[in-house]
This record gives sequence, C-alpha cells and structure tokens, in this order.
Amino acid sequence: MKYTFKVYRFNPETDDAPRYQTYEVDCEEGWTVLDALNYIKWYLDGSVSYRRSCRHEICGSCAVMMNGKNGLLCNTQVKDLGSKTITIEPLKGFPVLKDLIVDMDLFIERLKAVNPFFESSEPPTDREYYQSPEDRAIIDDAVNCILCGSCTGSCPSFWYNPDYLGPAALFKAFRFVYDSRDTAAAERLELVDDHNGLWRCHTIFNCMECCPKNLNITEGIQYLKRLAFMRKI
Amino acid sequence: MGYRWHTGSVAWILHRLSGVALTFYLVLHIWVIHHIGQGPEAFNAIMAKVQTPLFKFLELGLLGTVLYHSFNGFRILLFDFGIGIRQQKQIFWGTVVVGLLVFAVSGYGMLSHILH
Ligand code: SF4
Repeated sequence: MKYTFKVYRFNPETDDAPRYQTYEVDCEEGWTVLDALNYIKWYLDGSVSYRRSCRHEICGSCAVMMNGKNGLLCNTQVKDLGSKTITIEPLKGFPVLKDLIVDMDLFIERLKAVNPFFESSEPPTDREYYQSPEDRAIIDDAVNCILCGSCTGSCPSFWYNPDYLGPAALFKAFRFVYDSRDTAAAERLELVDDHNGLWRCHTIFNCMECCPKNLNITEGIQYLKRLAFMRKI
Repeated sequence: MGYRWHTGSVAWILHRLSGVALTFYLVLHIWVIHHIGQGPEAFNAIMAKVQTPLFKFLELGLLGTVLYHSFNGFRILLFDFGIGIRQQKQIFWGTVVVGLLVFAVSGYGMLSHILH
C-alpha cells in the first residue's frame, strides 16, 4: 500500500530553516515506520538522518514524533497511524542536531540529577539483597523504562521550561525511592522536591499517552509528590 | 506540525483558561462589592448596571466556568491521592457529564429567572 512520508529535514550547520521533504513509499503489510524510513534511506535518499539500533523496542534510540505524537519508530506500524500521509519529526524540546536526531544531553543531565543508581548503606553480604515479590511489584513498571525520551519530549511543562527534570527523570527517582532495598530515599526526595522537579508536573498525561512501554509514569510522580508532602507535615 | 491534543492536555488547558477567567471575575466582583463603602446610592447604581440581561447571560458563562474548574479540580485531587490515574480519561468524561447535568439544572433555573 502506498503511503506519503513527510520527513522533517534540518541541518543547523547549513540550513537557515527546517523544511519537510516528501517521499512516496509502497509499504508492505506489517511494516513499521522504521522499515519505511530505512527504505527511504537505502533506496531513495541516503541523506535522511535518524537514530535506530535494536529495532525491537529495548534500546530506546528511535523515539520521534509521528503525526504529532511521540513514540518509537520500531514499534509503530505504518497502518496503525491511520492516515495515508505520515509526518515524522524530531522530539520537541530538544535541540536538533540533524533531521530527526536530537541532542539528548539535556535529557541525560536531568536524569543524572536524581542520582539514578542503587544506593545502600547496608554492608554487602555474600548473598543478593532480598526483595519480596510484593515490594518488587511496586516498581515493576518503573524498572521497564528504556529511557527513550518520548515522555519528556511530549511534556508541555518541559517544552516551556527545560530546567524541569521531566517525567523520565522523575520516574527514575520513583524507581529508587520506592525500591525496598535502597536506603537513599530521603536524599533523592530532596533532589526532586523542587519547583523544577515534582511540582512542575501538572498531570497533563501526554507522557502516559505516548510511552511505548505503556508505563504508569504519572502514578510514580504522584506517589513521590505525596511522600514529599507528607514528610513536611 | 504541533503536538496532538489528548484528553489529558485538553483538560489541563481548559483548567488553566477557566482559572484565569475566574481570577478576572474575582477582581470584577471585588470591584463591584467595594462600592458598598461609598454609600447606598453608589452601591445601588453599580448593582443596577450588573443586573442588565447581558450580565445575567454572562452569569451563565460564570456558572459553566466554575463548574468546569471545580469538577476538574476534583479530578486532579483524585490523582493527588493516587486514585484513577489509569482511568483519567473516563474520569474526565464522567465529570463532563455530571457537570453538564448540574449546568442544565441550575442554568434552567437562572434562565427562567432572567426571562421573567
Ligand atoms: S517512561 Fe516510557 S516514554 Fe519515558 S523514557 Fe521510559 S520508556 Fe520512554
């Protein structure tokens, strides 16, 4: 079936302004948008630039905006977008390096700001740190985040204020604060209890609408808000 | 292309707009009420102005704005208690339906008062 792909093109080093280039692609049944973009790059125009790596929804590198909604190129089927013309653009809120490739430094910096690693004050033993299945269930969603950036790039609070930590970083903070084995919850809560942290989330739900892993991001953020509030009263 | 609107983002932007509108209303309200300090004549004069049919119809708009802002505010409160986050869309449409019912009932009362 024939589809028209309108691809965002911009090279900040040579172009004054971004433009859209149109390609006609005859897509086979079951093609993902990544398959179509690969076809464009390999057979029609080798200069189109985008990131991709694993092509099965685990590396998180191919997040872009398709028909006005963020998601992964590799797990979005062309026919599921429901239109004959498909517009592909880079994630909003990040500087464009070339075409669909954005600079993710900001994203990584915000992530680092919440100490996204396991911390325990208990001395290591020769066994693993025990966690009950019930305790693990609390963070089941959060450990599945692949850090693709779809959520942060879909958040109006982030677009208008890049100092905001964004949903991905806050969700990562939730992942460790609510990890029964982690002992640095108080410090981490301190890092996110800020007007550019938790309190800039206005429950707009764009993040959950587009998360390719269908994770309950807002719930994690709301739990943190409650904890931050409770420790003050 | 802009980012696509979803139920959650529409609910949010309407909440903002209704909040701003209510702030303006509050200023107007205080301004009207402050005339009471200038004696009965001044107060009656301003009251006569805001009881014209135009203001009566604007009051219907005020009712709608207050209803939306409070019902959606209630929806947001639920999220603060960690309730219904996965069901935010259904809760939104639920509050719209209940809000419209309340609007219809109280709006009918106000309208019949205006028309008589
Ligand atoms: S929470 Fe979802 S959208 Fe956000 S970075 Fe993780 S996988 Fe991507």
